[in-house]
Amino acid sequence: MSFFGFDASRHNPAGAGFSQAHNPFAGLSNREDEGDALEFEETYDGLGDQLEETGDAFNDDTFGDTAGLDTRPVGKDFDFFGTTAQVSTAIEEEHVRFTRQQPTARVPQPTAQVSAHAMPQPTVPGPSSYGYYSQPAPYKPARSGYEKYGNEPVAELQVDAALWGVAPKKQPQQAPAASPAPASAQPSRKVLSLEEVEAQMRAQAKATQQAVPSPAPPQAAIPADSQGQAPPPMHHDPAYQYQQQVQPQIPQQPDHARKDQSFGPGHGHPVTILQRPHGKQGASPQPPAQPAAHFRQEPSATMQPTQILQNPNRLSGDAARLGMRQHPTPTMPASYPAHPTHRQQGSFSRQQQIITHPSQLSQLSEEEKAAYLEQEAKRAKRNHKIFLMSRDNGIMTPQDKSFVTRIQLQQLVSATGNPNEHGTDESLTEDFYYQVHSQIQGSQRQHPNQPLNNFAQTYLFQTGSRQGGMRRHNRGPENHMQRMEQQVQRAVEAAKNKPKNKQLVIEGSLGKISFSNAKTPKPLLNIKRTDNTGEAHRPSSSHKDIPSGGDRKSDLRSIERIYTTLMQMEDHDRAMPPHPANDADTEAIQRFVAWNSEAQILNNKLWQGLRVHDHPDNGRVHPFIALLSYTKGMKAMQRISRHLSHEQRTTILTLIVVNLDSLEVVRNAQVTPEVMQLNAAMRENVELFSVAVMSTLFNVLNELDLDLVAGVLGLVCTRNVDVIAKSRIGVSMLTMILSRAEIIKHGGGGSEQAWRSWDATHTQFFGLIEPSLPHMFPGPVTAGDDIYVWQLLAALGIGAGPDQQQRLVLAVKDRVMDTVALSKTLPQDLAAQRLQNVNLFMRSIGLDVELLQ
Amino acid sequence: MLFFSFFKTLIDHEVTVELKNDIQIRGVLKSVDQYLNIKLDNIQVMEETKYPHMSAVKNVFIRGSVVRYVHLPANAVDIPLLEDATRREAANQAGKGK
Repeated sequence: MSFFGFDASRHNPAGAGFSQAHNPFAGLSNREDEGDALEFEETYDGLGDQLEETGDAFNDDTFGDTAGLDTRPVGKDFDFFGTTAQVSTAIEEEHVRFTRQQPTARVPQPTAQVSAHAMPQPTVPGPSSYGYYSQPAPYKPARSGYEKYGNEPVAELQVDAALWGVAPKKQPQQAPAASPAPASAQPSRKVLSLEEVEAQMRAQAKATQQAVPSPAPPQAAIPADSQGQAPPPMHHDPAYQYQQQVQPQIPQQPDHARKDQSFGPGHGHPVTILQRPHGKQGASPQPPAQPAAHFRQEPSATMQPTQILQNPNRLSGDAARLGMRQHPTPTMPASYPAHPTHRQQGSFSRQQQIITHPSQLSQLSEEEKAAYLEQEAKRAKRNHKIFLMSRDNGIMTPQDKSFVTRIQLQQLVSATGNPNEHGTDESLTEDFYYQVHSQIQGSQRQHPNQPLNNFAQTYLFQTGSRQGGMRRHNRGPENHMQRMEQQVQRAVEAAKNKPKNKQLVIEGSLGKISFSNAKTPKPLLNIKRTDNTGEAHRPSSSHKDIPSGGDRKSDLRSIERIYTTLMQMEDHDRAMPPHPANDADTEAIQRFVAWNSEAQILNNKLWQGLRVHDHPDNGRVHPFIALLSYTKGMKAMQRISRHLSHEQRTTILTLIVVNLDSLEVVRNAQVTPEVMQLNAAMRENVELFSVAVMSTLFNVLNELDLDLVAGVLGLVCTRNVDVIAKSRIGVSMLTMILSRAEIIKHGGGGSEQAWRSWDATHTQFFGLIEPSLPHMFPGPVTAGDDIYVWQLLAALGIGAGPDQQQRLVLAVKDRVMDTVALSKTLPQDLAAQRLQNVNLFMRSIGLDVELLQ
Repeated sequence: MLFFSFFKTLIDHEVTVELKNDIQIRGVLKSVDQYLNIKLDNIQVMEETKYPHMSAVKNVFIRGSVVRYVHLPANAVDIPLLEDATRREAANQAGKGK
């Protein structure tokens, strides 16, 4: 059961297990793990990023001929520490230095995880490792390529005991060598059955015997090494401790085993395999440790090239292998220590700091004990969490993920709509109000497709940040970002090209997915309208409407038809092709001609809809005039006039003037000095009419020449001038006509003949309106709001001859005098307002209210 | 899609949403979707004494199906445009129905 297919019983420097020590999270970060709940940032030191994960080409050069290692027993000539030994002093110095520089060791999450995987069973003391440690001496490393890695892993392994909330206690009985520690740690590493334990126990005796003598040779091999005096690097410690304390350890084993079991599988074991105690054990300067130290260092170094293999998922495999590995060791003391040993050593050393076997525990104060137990529980909980979370790591390949992402994006695009589609006719019909409203409001939302863009960007950004959070794997995230962007593009493309179906069979999905997107939400009611009912209904109704007319329903329907036509014309206007730049551009000219003819058709349709040329039925008002009695009919006027030709507009003006006294807002809005109050609805209508229709008519009138103005006034004369004069709209209309003539006169326009006809018409008109003059004012003099009357009087006065002026003054003298009298009782500003209104008229006939006061 | 289209323009305006359980919630419309689900921010329940449990809530997501009325800010509504949009919607529906 070897992970790489190597012979597991042999040394495998490329084993994944080695790497855990160094960069436990390299694998995690590579896999974009979902472990959001954990702060990986805290636990990950980033050293792994400095590694080249792909550059395995020269591993052989660096690490020796692994092929050779594989084929023959690693045995005697394998040199783990030869070269390393030569620089070991430097390495140790580096350790210390690094430790000082980075006193804050990171919480050894990963290792904990490893152990959790590795140790599903209660751990049992494993004497086997004694076998390992006792044996290093015979191996004389020929060379070692690990020097350059030497300091790196060590540095990160420094653990501050304070981190665990327990002061690292040195047990008195542990003495300098801290003998129990290795023992206690060791059990944690073991995954052994009871039988195995027994076998180990039996083997232990042998191992001990072997171990005892072993220290000597290494020491001899490197006599010059000063390491013994210097505070020994942590990871060396375990080794020599093992060697030294083989004897004392043995009796303690059971205790440890018990203790570990009491903590349960989840946390009793050891967890921080890689944590080395911080110079704790270093106090004991034991030269014999030397060889072991080198020996140990190597595995930690070897792990580096194999970083790539670090994948939480594989930990279990790793663990399994670990378990396998450890079985043979007791029986084969000479066999090479595989990477597990390396971990073991870490775990035990760590445990030494925190844990204690029962006797240790009993020596702690109650608080400390409680704190310790609490810490342990926390740690176990955390480990368990990590384990749970990492269990499914790597189940999805990057391809899977991108596939899912693609589907999501497709849904996203089809749900939100294609950004390129915004602003087109289709989106305008679907989303008219929003599109136009945001165009009108304009400022904030520059472009209607912004929402989607935002959405897409948000989506991208989120993914990006998640990537970025994964720490310094610069190359990876960038690629991923690019891929994401490309995917979005592709998805948008696909959505664009996709025929619009109600259903979609997405590649790889089982069955059809029926759409409900923003544009076409899933219909809750699907009412099939049979064609004949629709067909039968519509034509008949429209057929009926046109001839009948007159009743409210058909009037409203006519107005709706007008609006529909108007909207068609407006859409058509938007589609107006650019004016052909020159005559040569026949295609553009053709387009323009086609557009024009279409516009003409629509114009005809509108004109038909207005029914200006229809003749009213007997006793009924003209259909067009009837339209103007409805609010929305009035509102349509401005839009209508925009789409009509000058002649058509003039025709409408004429029509309105001809029917002025039958306009609802004239006929039903009669005011006299006695009765001025109109009901609210009518007042609103009058207001709306003057805003919507009168302004339109005013513009039309201002385009007319004098002869036409005279003609219009002549038309007024054919109507019931009294009715007109007693309505606000009528009076305004008269004022408009008269003042237009005045403006033309001032501008020097109009032919002689036109003026003559105008004068004649004016005289006639004056005669008609004169009797109504005193009765035009709305309400009594106190009511105010009579400015429009004064305006008409002023317009009349300007164009009037001297005798006409005389008659004017006579007609409205009472009102003038009353107003002046009233103004004296009013507050100043109100009074001034009223007097100014009067003055409009007075000045037009060369007088002033000042003269009356 | 008229309503969706319309409510989109009310985003960042203050509206009052009346729910089918009679609670009235006033808040700033943050988003709306095609189901007319509504997200409100800075909410305030109209009869706070009657619904004290809502007094601590600052923002809500309202499922569209539980909304009875949305009181609109009149000045944020372009009535002629809305009328036209309604006409277009009606025309679309008629066109689809055929």
